[in-house]
Amino acid sequence: MNVMTTMTPAEQALGLTLPNRREEEWKWTDLRRFVERPYGAVVPADRKAVERLLAQSPFAGLKGPRLVIANGVVDEKLSRLAGVKLAKGAAAVAHEDVLLSLNNKLGVAGATLTFEGAVDQPVVIVFVTTGENSAVASRLHLDVAEGASASVIEVHLGEGAYLHNPVVSASIGKGARLDRVKVEQEASSAQHLSHLIATLGANAILNDFTLTAGAALSRQNVNVDFTGKGSNLRVNGSYLLTDSQHADTRLIVDHKVPHCTSRELFKCVMAEKARGVFQGKVIVRPDAQKTDGKQSSHALLLSETAEFDAKPELEIYADDVICGHGTTCGDLDHDHLFYLRSRGIPEAEARSLLVQAFLAEAIEAVENEQVREVLTEMIVERLV
Amino acid sequence: MADEDTIELVREIDVDKYKYGFETDIESDFAPKGLNEDTVRFISAKKGEPSWMLEWRLEAYRRWLNMEEPKWAKVHYPPIDFQAIYYYAAPKSQAAPKSLDEIDPKLLETYAKLGIPLKEQEILAGVRKQGEPSRLDDAIGSEYASGKVAVDAVFDSVSVVTTFKDELAKHGVIFCSMSEAVREHPELVKQYLGSVVPQGDNYYAALNSAVFSDGSFVYVPPGVRCPMELSTYFRMNAKNTGQFERTLIIADKGAYVSYLEGCTAPTRDESQLHAAVVELISHENAEIKYSTVQNWYPGDKEGKGGVYNFVTKRGDCRGHHSKISWTQVETGSAITWKYPSVLLRGDHSRGEFYSIAISNGRQQVDSGTKMIHLGKNTSSRIVSKGIAAGRSDNTYRGLVSAHRKALNARNFTQCDSLLIGDKCGAHTVPYIESKTSTAQFEHEATTSKISDDQMFYCRSRGLSQEEAVALIVNGFVRDVLQQLPMEFMAETQKLIGISLEGSVG
Repeated sequence: MNVMTTMTPAEQALGLTLPNRREEEWKWTDLRRFVERPYGAVVPADRKAVERLLAQSPFAGLKGPRLVIANGVVDEKLSRLAGVKLAKGAAAVAHEDVLLSLNNKLGVAGATLTFEGAVDQPVVIVFVTTGENSAVASRLHLDVAEGASASVIEVHLGEGAYLHNPVVSASIGKGARLDRVKVEQEASSAQHLSHLIATLGANAILNDFTLTAGAALSRQNVNVDFTGKGSNLRVNGSYLLTDSQHADTRLIVDHKVPHCTSRELFKCVMAEKARGVFQGKVIVRPDAQKTDGKQSSHALLLSETAEFDAKPELEIYADDVICGHGTTCGDLDHDHLFYLRSRGIPEAEARSLLVQAFLAEAIEAVENEQVREVLTEMIVERLV
Repeated sequence: MADEDTIELVREIDVDKYKYGFETDIESDFAPKGLNEDTVRFISAKKGEPSWMLEWRLEAYRRWLNMEEPKWAKVHYPPIDFQAIYYYAAPKSQAAPKSLDEIDPKLLETYAKLGIPLKEQEILAGVRKQGEPSRLDDAIGSEYASGKVAVDAVFDSVSVVTTFKDELAKHGVIFCSMSEAVREHPELVKQYLGSVVPQGDNYYAALNSAVFSDGSFVYVPPGVRCPMELSTYFRMNAKNTGQFERTLIIADKGAYVSYLEGCTAPTRDESQLHAAVVELISHENAEIKYSTVQNWYPGDKEGKGGVYNFVTKRGDCRGHHSKISWTQVETGSAITWKYPSVLLRGDHSRGEFYSIAISNGRQQVDSGTKMIHLGKNTSSRIVSKGIAAGRSDNTYRGLVSAHRKALNARNFTQCDSLLIGDKCGAHTVPYIESKTSTAQFEHEATTSKISDDQMFYCRSRGLSQEEAVALIVNGFVRDVLQQLPMEFMAETQKLIGISLEGSVG
């Protein structure tokens, strides 16, 4: 169906056509309708705003290395790069996707972090975006060398009504390990369109957790490709949405080689008129025997106007595999609520406790205790 | 034991495993090849339809012209030339048979070969031969031997015979061919036809609305529990024909009906098109149970020939406390594109979907269901078992949705896939949409193969490899098998064994 339609002013400003809901992957997130503001070009970041936001960052308390990317550009003055190997430019990625095209269109030099050996402290990477009405691209490549282990915390903060399009690629070498935590806490009227592309070598480990709490619209594409045997993947996520926030995660795990394990767990909480979407797909290619894949997505709708849409997909071409997915969706359990209230806990607190407990399972995957505590605190703060 | 039967049957079949692949040499009346307004008029005239029916068809045809073939399903096939198909073929020798005696003996022979118990005494005796003790009886009890089944047989484009009409009429149940219903009960047809699947619903439904030739019509009046199972057998015989039947079943307030459908087609090198539409309407407190055993010709090992089965089936739970249950066993067709759905409009209404889809050779199955929760306290249950073997692709595609006003909607979905061999694919594509916090949806899917442990256990007990597979597969699909009417259950177990023949070892 090649119906020629005129480009919207927003599309003209970005220089490309955006997908609409007739495209399967964008069924529940009609990007063409969401992006209606004709965004202007990037302006240099407002230094004061950046400093203010950095101070407010939930991970401001962590003393380790820090990389600050303000409006797509590395801010070396605000970064603490002792012991971190940073290079300009980022390797090209092989995937084809509208969010990647957008990244290329908006143009950004990007940066590469290389990890060799074992890193004891997590590197905090803060993406700060400021400026009304601008479309900002960021590009970061994480290169975890053979046998190395790395830990990064990605925080997305900002001020104003902007569009932020960060593309992060990660290549995890043979026997290497990457622990990644992403906190999406963009400004409340911002639009966050991100893409993570990770490639795992043999016997590699990727342990990923994303907390989606900010932005009016948050669309996160995640692609993980297994290219070597014996690798292990965990992708967890939590949504904490309210008002009319809209979050959509499209996750594709591609088992191209045998003997790999993948686990995905998404816990989504939607209040008010928020809408959460989860589209997860596990592909097991013909040669990927002995694959063990499990995917779960669970949603908690806290108001009658909240919405959850899910499409957990399995595409399997090998027979000696164990694959499964599960999805549930519903309200807080009234029995649980009754139990807590009968013990004298006020309703609001009881609800908050139950939501915390619901989200806790996804956060458990974060191994750094300090980081896990910060995440839990953030959630508690939002629920009060 | 059913599994022994399976093995026995598999052994009996030598080269071609599709036993319904014969062609009956019977004279047929064809409409001119191809599709245009004249074809639609020709069919309508052949059926002696009133003008409103012709208008309805033409409207559908005009809509179809402006529609595009759906491409979203996970199936691949060469483009269909809609002008190379005969849209109407009817056995010539009989115009309107009054009784079985008037029917072309060749037709009867065909049905006999298909194992369809058309004649009353055969029905009474079930599938066993007179005076011979049946293993079936042992397996499923004596109820079956005394059970009656009213049969409507559809050969190519026309319904050739409907049995037990008089007895059904005593209870006020109308069971006849669609063309007869248009003539005899126009008010009912006018009221309900297209009310669940409108003319322009989708590409194949529009095509069907324009050229549908026959099908079954059932109306069960208020408060009546249909005294016997109703059944239709569809047979596609003539070359280059498409079969477009239309079934309409209405259960009025408090009524109950159970309906069975079976299909077969001859072995051919060219592919044949089957685009049917089934509409079910369940009023207050009524229940419809619809079971299908679909065994169209699946094509040969290399994927040559076979039936393209593009079917729209939808039920409408219109009244409070109404219920619709779909049970399907899909073993045939080169390509299956079928999503029996339920619109849960009435409060407290319930929808069920039980499915076994088996694919072997180069078959492609894209099937599933839709449960649309609109009323309050509605519930639905989906159990789907997909088995892929050979080089086939087996996809479950389903939608469960709750609208804002569907308070306390409840759904449970379970999709299990079993892979036999490493050249096949099993896919699950469920869509879940919940617009209210009071809805509770659960979905789970698993994919696995027959484990070495299971195999080892069976083999160590002295079962051969084929016996072991048949046993394990029959266990895998058990939840669904139990939903089938007795008459179909035993047959289906055998069919499963046959469909999987040659998939192991």
